[in-house]
Amino acid sequence: MVMINNKVKIKTTNLNVYYGDKQALNDVNLEIHSKEVTALIGPSGCGKSTYIRCINRMNDVIDICRVTGSIEIDGNEINKKEIDVVSLREKIGMVFQKPNPFPKSIYDNVSYGPNIHGLAENKVKMDEIVETSLKKAALWNEVKDRLNEPGTSLSGGQQQRLCIARAISVNPEVILMDEPCSALDPIATAKIEELMDELKKSYTIVIVTHSMSQAVRVSQRTGFFHLGKLIEVDTTEKIFKNPNNKMTQDYITGRFG
Amino acid sequence: MNLAIIVLIVLFSISSFFFARTKVKKIAISNQTKLNALPDYYGFYLSLWCALPALLILIVWTIFEPSIIKAFIFQGISGENAQTYNNSELNLIYQQIKSFHFGYFTGTITEEIIRGAESYKSFLSIAQGSKIVLLATIIIFTTLYALKKILNNNKAREDVEKIFKGLLFVCSLVAILTTIGIIFALLFESIKFFSVINIFDFLFGTSWSPQRAFVRDASTITAEEYADLKNAFGTVPLFAGTAFIALIAMIVAVPIGLFSGIYMAEYANTKVRKYSKPIIEILAGIPTVVYGFFAALTVGPFFREIGEKFGLEVSSESALAAGLVMGVMIIPYISSLSDDVINAVPQSLRDGSYAIGATKSETIKRVVFPAALPGIVGSVLLAVSRAIGETMIVVMAAGLAANLTLNPLESTTTITTQIVMILVGDQEFDSPKTQSAFALGLTLFFATLVLNYIALRVVKKYREKYE
Ligand SMILES: Nc1ncnc2c1ncn2[C@@H]1O[C@H](COP(=O)(O)OP(=O)(O)OP(=O)(O)O)[C@@H](O)[C@H]1O
Ligand SMILES: [Mg+2]
Repeated sequence: MVMINNKVKIKTTNLNVYYGDKQALNDVNLEIHSKEVTALIGPSGCGKSTYIRCINRMNDVIDICRVTGSIEIDGNEINKKEIDVVSLREKIGMVFQKPNPFPKSIYDNVSYGPNIHGLAENKVKMDEIVETSLKKAALWNEVKDRLNEPGTSLSGGQQQRLCIARAISVNPEVILMDEPCSALDPIATAKIEELMDELKKSYTIVIVTHSMSQAVRVSQRTGFFHLGKLIEVDTTEKIFKNPNNKMTQDYITGRFG
Repeated sequence: MNLAIIVLIVLFSISSFFFARTKVKKIAISNQTKLNALPDYYGFYLSLWCALPALLILIVWTIFEPSIIKAFIFQGISGENAQTYNNSELNLIYQQIKSFHFGYFTGTITEEIIRGAESYKSFLSIAQGSKIVLLATIIIFTTLYALKKILNNNKAREDVEKIFKGLLFVCSLVAILTTIGIIFALLFESIKFFSVINIFDFLFGTSWSPQRAFVRDASTITAEEYADLKNAFGTVPLFAGTAFIALIAMIVAVPIGLFSGIYMAEYANTKVRKYSKPIIEILAGIPTVVYGFFAALTVGPFFREIGEKFGLEVSSESALAAGLVMGVMIIPYISSLSDDVINAVPQSLRDGSYAIGATKSETIKRVVFPAALPGIVGSVLLAVSRAIGETMIVVMAAGLAANLTLNPLESTTTITTQIVMILVGDQEFDSPKTQSAFALGLTLFFATLVLNYIALRVVKKYREKYE
């Protein structure tokens, strides 16, 4: 098998998530491989967002949310009290469904993370970080002359790439993307998909998407969620050509969801 | 009497509602036609037409009746008497007649008063009678008019809409007209004042003691007298005092209000929030006189005691006591407004910051607070204009002496306090002293207007950002 070479980056075992009394995830066992794009698909409300928010412990922000089970990153358990979520989130970046640049300048949007974590000892170093991040996010050429303009003045697609630049500015190992293209037009989407292809050389990427074609285009592995359960996970090719599960088959052919 | 008339009109109007409703239903059935609106609308249409014009006329009548009767009485008095009275004497007699009529007159009863009271009585009953006749006629006409419309199956839905629109328009007109009226009253009195006192002497003079301004006919003031007079009306100490006390209040209120707003919005869990927010807002409901007591009887003496221990001269009425208590009064405005403003910052911005590994306080300091800043500035400006306009606390706790001082332990005074002082008690309405109150009011009005304008602009600009 080809897969044998892949190192497992993230591994969740018996992951259960509850919002108050309501169970949102049910015994999810999933392995996410290093330096690959993993797509998570499934009908609305099946728990995809909930799942990726577990990985960087963003569910901590929600008062009523409770997470049980094990989440390992590089073999280290992160679903425990002692873990420092601040440095965890430095390692695991996130890009949201709706572009959410801070109401600050483009430069300050990107320098925000490095600033907080003290990654640049001087202005020159910071300029360098900002430039490389924007270049990696394929935004540099469009904004290099207007770094002091507010990030909110960019177009939606540019804003989303700015958010990607912001996420990679602290040099994370994993990037979580929750429907990053759902607010974008096809051209901006194509740009971001292209970008993901490039980024996966250095980062592990998990993307939630409602677009089957996007999953096929960008991902190497795909997981299918339904009603809080992980129904099937395999290589993208297998899932979309010849899934094991009848439900997966129905979903990808558009028979429900 | 008026009450009985109103009750009658309302009852009639209510019954006409039901009448119209059943009537149109019957007509629709017997004529096999479709109504242009739901039957209720015909009911509303008829009852509004019954009540509104009559009530309107009643209001107008009630407003003008006394002055018209008064005019008739005046005429009567001057007509039958060889003696000529001037206006204020006439007024006095009129008051006597009225009080005699109502049976609480205590002075010497003269022939004139008895006769006056008789004619007053007859005028009253004439007015009463003609009022009822007039109202009845109007109601009959408007009701017939509306009834005819209904029977012709009018577009009652749109017509009711129009009537309501008219009603709303009239209400807002009243609000706007009264505001304009107040401004003009201020303006006219101020113009009279400024025709005596130069506006620059008023705005830039440093000595305020209006009690020195003996009543004088403005046109005969000599240059020397004016030199004296202008020293009575220099408002700089008042503006300085106002700004100073407001400053002390803001020093207290801004940090406490802001931090409690931040706590409320960002840290407090829903349960704490649910109880503590209303509790803080209760502070806003305490009447300012109560704060005034508190400042004058507790805080002021407390400061003086402490000052004495350290050998400081602290007056028991001090800018510090007033400013401090005023600050406490303003806390809820700032905390509740900034709480709202902070809550309006989209959660997605916080998520973006957390997701990159920022702690809560970093997120608040670097993302939430800057994003909310314009709104917070707006709320602070609104609070400032509140502080500037506040009167009661200052009257009770800061004193009346117009000292031009920056010592918070001395007593100072503010614009509003001086307005109160000038207008309390018997006043000649055409003396510069009284008119100066209007001039002060006008300047205060402009100051708060500018502040509010800036505040609203800032708040608006902030709104545009997320929408
Ligand atoms: N903050 C919350 N409080 C309570 N319930 C929540 C919360 N967030 C999500 N849920 C519930 O958890 C379940 C999973 O939600 P989740 O957002 O993970 O779905 P999703 O797969 O991302 O859906 P979509 O494709 O629409 O984004 C849903 O039933 C939802 O109602
Ligand atoms: Mg989702």
